[in-house]
Amino acid sequence: MNPSKPVENRYQSRIRTNVKRLYRWHSAWAAVTLLMCFGPGFLWHRALGLTLLAAGLDVAVGVGMILATKKFIEELDELQRKIFLNALGIAVGVGLIVGVPWTVMDVYHVIHFHANFGFLVILQGLTFLVSLLYGTWRYR
Amino acid sequence: MKNRLKVLRAERDWTQAQLADALDVSRQTINAIETGKFDPSLPLAFRAARLFGLRIEEIFHDQDPPL
Repeated sequence: MNPSKPVENRYQSRIRTNVKRLYRWHSAWAAVTLLMCFGPGFLWHRALGLTLLAAGLDVAVGVGMILATKKFIEELDELQRKIFLNALGIAVGVGLIVGVPWTVMDVYHVIHFHANFGFLVILQGLTFLVSLLYGTWRYR
Repeated sequence: MKNRLKVLRAERDWTQAQLADALDVSRQTINAIETGKFDPSLPLAFRAARLFGLRIEEIFHDQDPPL
């Protein structure tokens, strides 16, 4: 096997395709989640059937997003997979160790505002991003 | 673990990108292996050995003391 002079690495080309697929699934999930969050109040005035339909659609698109993410991780090379999974592990860990005290503080009124789940999602997202960038820098 | 990947690549006048393409990994992975920041898995080490027509131990050297 002789390496040729490629315009784009086959690996890069495959990852680019997977990133596009991942982007489409995440966008679809975000759109359906927005619909589920705001639809009952603003679009169909809490009609039970439509709310259940939106929730079902949200779960179905969510499953598609998970499968797309799984495929994306499987097709990463071993170093990229290591960086990605490390970042994912740190994000899940931070979500857990911050999320539990966060909820408990809300239950016992230690904090004077509602411990919104959205904050945790943002925290996990930012933690994942920072960890991913750190991992990429570390093995640059 | 030490390796001779950079030397073997240079002997053939290949770039990191070309070697990455031949081994179906990213250029970053080749760079991390060459600089000793990352040890490849056994399947990837076998692919590299096949590519260079060498045995694994002729490319990768264990640095740990014997048991």
